Amino acid sequence: MKYSEIIKDNYVLGKKVKGREYKIAILSNIMVHQSKEICEYFLRKQSVNIKIFLGEYDNIVQDSAKYQDLNAVIIFWEACNFFDGFQYKADEISNVKFEALVNKIKAEIDLVLSNLNSTSLVLINKFSTLVFNRYQVSNNRFNNIVDLLNQYLESNTNAYTNLNLIDVDRVISNLSIDFSVDLRYYYLSKTLYSIDFYKGYFEHIKPIFLSATGRAKKALIFDCDNTLWKGVLGEDGFDNINMFQEVQHLAVTLAKKGVIVGLCSKNNAKDIDNVLENHPDMILKDDSIVIKRINWDDKVSNLKSIAQDLNIGLDSFVFIDDSSFEIGLIQKDLPEVSVFQVPIKEYEYGLLFRKVSNLFYNPSQTEEDVAKIGFYKKQLKRLECKNPMGNIEDYLKTLGLKINLYIDDLSQISRISQMTQKTNQFNLTTKRYTENEIKKLINNESKIVISIGVSDKYGDHGITGLAILDLEELKIDTFLLSCRIIGRNIEYKFMNIIVKLLRNSGVQKIDSQYNKTMKNQQVSDYYSKCGFSLVCESNGNIEYCLVINNYKNKELEYIRVIDER
Amino acid sequence: MKDRIKKVMANIFGIDGNLINNNSSPDNIDNWDSLKHMSLIVALEEEFETEFSDDEIFNTMSYSLIVDALETNKL
Repeated sequence: MKYSEIIKDNYVLGKKVKGREYKIAILSNIMVHQSKEICEYFLRKQSVNIKIFLGEYDNIVQDSAKYQDLNAVIIFWEACNFFDGFQYKADEISNVKFEALVNKIKAEIDLVLSNLNSTSLVLINKFSTLVFNRYQVSNNRFNNIVDLLNQYLESNTNAYTNLNLIDVDRVISNLSIDFSVDLRYYYLSKTLYSIDFYKGYFEHIKPIFLSATGRAKKALIFDCDNTLWKGVLGEDGFDNINMFQEVQHLAVTLAKKGVIVGLCSKNNAKDIDNVLENHPDMILKDDSIVIKRINWDDKVSNLKSIAQDLNIGLDSFVFIDDSSFEIGLIQKDLPEVSVFQVPIKEYEYGLLFRKVSNLFYNPSQTEEDVAKIGFYKKQLKRLECKNPMGNIEDYLKTLGLKINLYIDDLSQISRISQMTQKTNQFNLTTKRYTENEIKKLINNESKIVISIGVSDKYGDHGITGLAILDLEELKIDTFLLSCRIIGRNIEYKFMNIIVKLLRNSGVQKIDSQYNKTMKNQQVSDYYSKCGFSLVCESNGNIEYCLVINNYKNKELEYIRVIDER
Repeated sequence: MKDRIKKVMANIFGIDGNLINNNSSPDNIDNWDSLKHMSLIVALEEEFETEFSDDEIFNTMSYSLIVDALETNKL
C-alpha cells in the first residue's frame, strides 16, 4: 500500500474507530514524523482508538517527563546522532571523551526510565550499528559504545518491568538495509528511516499493543490432513503420512504457554485418535490438545461449537487449514476468525507459523497459563456431565464449588493485571491495568483489590475473578470473571462477598457501571440481576447504584467461601 | 500525471483534490508545513518511482513547481 493511501485511509479510520483512547508518544533524537500516521493506521486497523504524540526533535529526556501519563512511549534513540556525525567521528575522540559520553548517555537512560516508571509500556529500540557498520570487518568505537549501552539497557529490564527492548536490527534485516533507510534524507534532514521501515516496524511491535489492549488471540485450531502432516490419512494411510515436525513442535511450545490448541478436521474420529496415540512421529499429542472436532460436519458449525464450549469469542481464534475452500468458507461466514493457509512451498510453513505465533503474544506468563490446558479439559468434562443432569442448580450442588478470597494480595499482581488485559466477556468496565498500576491500586488505602480463586471437585481453576472497589468515589471500578468459571453462579456469590465487605467498611451506597464493548453483551444486565437500580443509560453504557441495606443475598450455600487473609 | 499529483496532494493534506489548482501553495493550503512537505515529496517519489534532487526537494513549494519538477524528470 502506498504511503499517500495510508495517510488517506488513516484519516478515514480516525473518524470511524471509537472506544477507549490509547495514547502513545514517540520520542526520538532523529526525525520520525512519518511514523505517526503509519503507527496510527496499523493500530486503527485493529480497531484500537489510538492517539499519537510526537516528541520534539532530539528531546528524549525532557519529553519523557512530559509524556509519562500516556499508555505507552516508544523511543527511537539513534547512536549515529548522539552528536552530529557520531558514526564517523567516534573513532577520533579521546578515551576520556568516550568514557564521558558513555556515562552521559547512561545517565540519560536512567532519567528517562525513572521518568517513565509509571507508564504502562516503554518500548526502546536497541542501539544499532547495522546501517553504518555493515562493511566493518572488526569492531570499532561505534560498535563498542552501542554494545555497552545495549548491555546497560538490558541490565535495567529487571528493575523496570514496563521496559521492552526492541531489536530493530530484526526489522531492518527482514527488509534489507537499503529499503529500511534513506541516507539521502538522513543527510538532508536527519530522517533516517523509510516508509517501508515504519510499516515493518509497527507490524513487528503490533503484538505488544494488541496484548495491552486485550486483543491477543487465545485459541489455535488446526485442520489435520496436509496441515499437521503431509498426506491424507484416509487415502494415504497411517504409514504414509509425514509429520510437519517444526510446526508441531512450535504448537506444543504455544500450548505450554497457555494457548488453547484444538483440532477441527473432516475425518473419522477414531482414525485421528489412532494417529495421536500411536504414530511414532507425532509430536502434538492429546496432552497438548484441549478440544477436538473430528467429524464430517462443516467447519463453520464446528468452530462455533468449539467457541461455545470453551466460552471464548470467535475473534480470539486462529484457524489453520490447507484447503482454499475451507479457508474461504470461514472467511465468509466467520470473518472474525483469523485464518491462515498452509503455504504451497512446504519450507515456508515454519516461518509462517512463527509469524502466526505472535498473535498469541503474552508478556508475562503466569502459573495459570501453564496449567490452562488442564483447566479447559476439566471444563469440557464438566460439560459432558452437565447435559444428562438437566437442572443446572442440581448439577452445581454436586460440584463442591469453593471460592478462595484474597484482598490486596501483592503476590498476585501479574495475574491480576493479566486478567484485566485478557478478560473481555464477563468484564463490566473493561479497564486494562498494567502490573505497575495494579501495584499502586493495592498500595492505595482507599482502593480494595479483591481477587478470587475458584475450585471444585474436578480441580483448581486458579485466580479467575477480580473486583476493584474505589472507596473514595464509592464505586465498583472493575468487576470481571474469567470465562472459564462462568455459569456456576460464582458471580452472585462474589457480589455477596463484595457487599459484605462494603458493609463492614461502613459504606452505605455504591455506584457501578456497565461499559458496553463489542464482547461484553452477556453482562449488560448483571447489575440489575444483582438488585442494583438503574441510574441512567446512554449509548449502551449503563450507570447503576445500590443502597447496601437494600441488597438481598442470593443464598447459594453450595459455594463455600474461604477467606485467605 | 496532473491528476495523480493532485490525488497524492489531496491524500497528504487531507483535502478535496478539486480544490488544488495552479496557484496552490503553502499560502492557501493550511496543512502544508515543512514536515508535511517532506511527506509529500516522499509520497510523490513513491507514486512516480523517481527521486527529486536536493534542490527540487526544498524548492518545489507549490503545485505548479511540483508539476515542473516531475515533467523535467521526464515522466
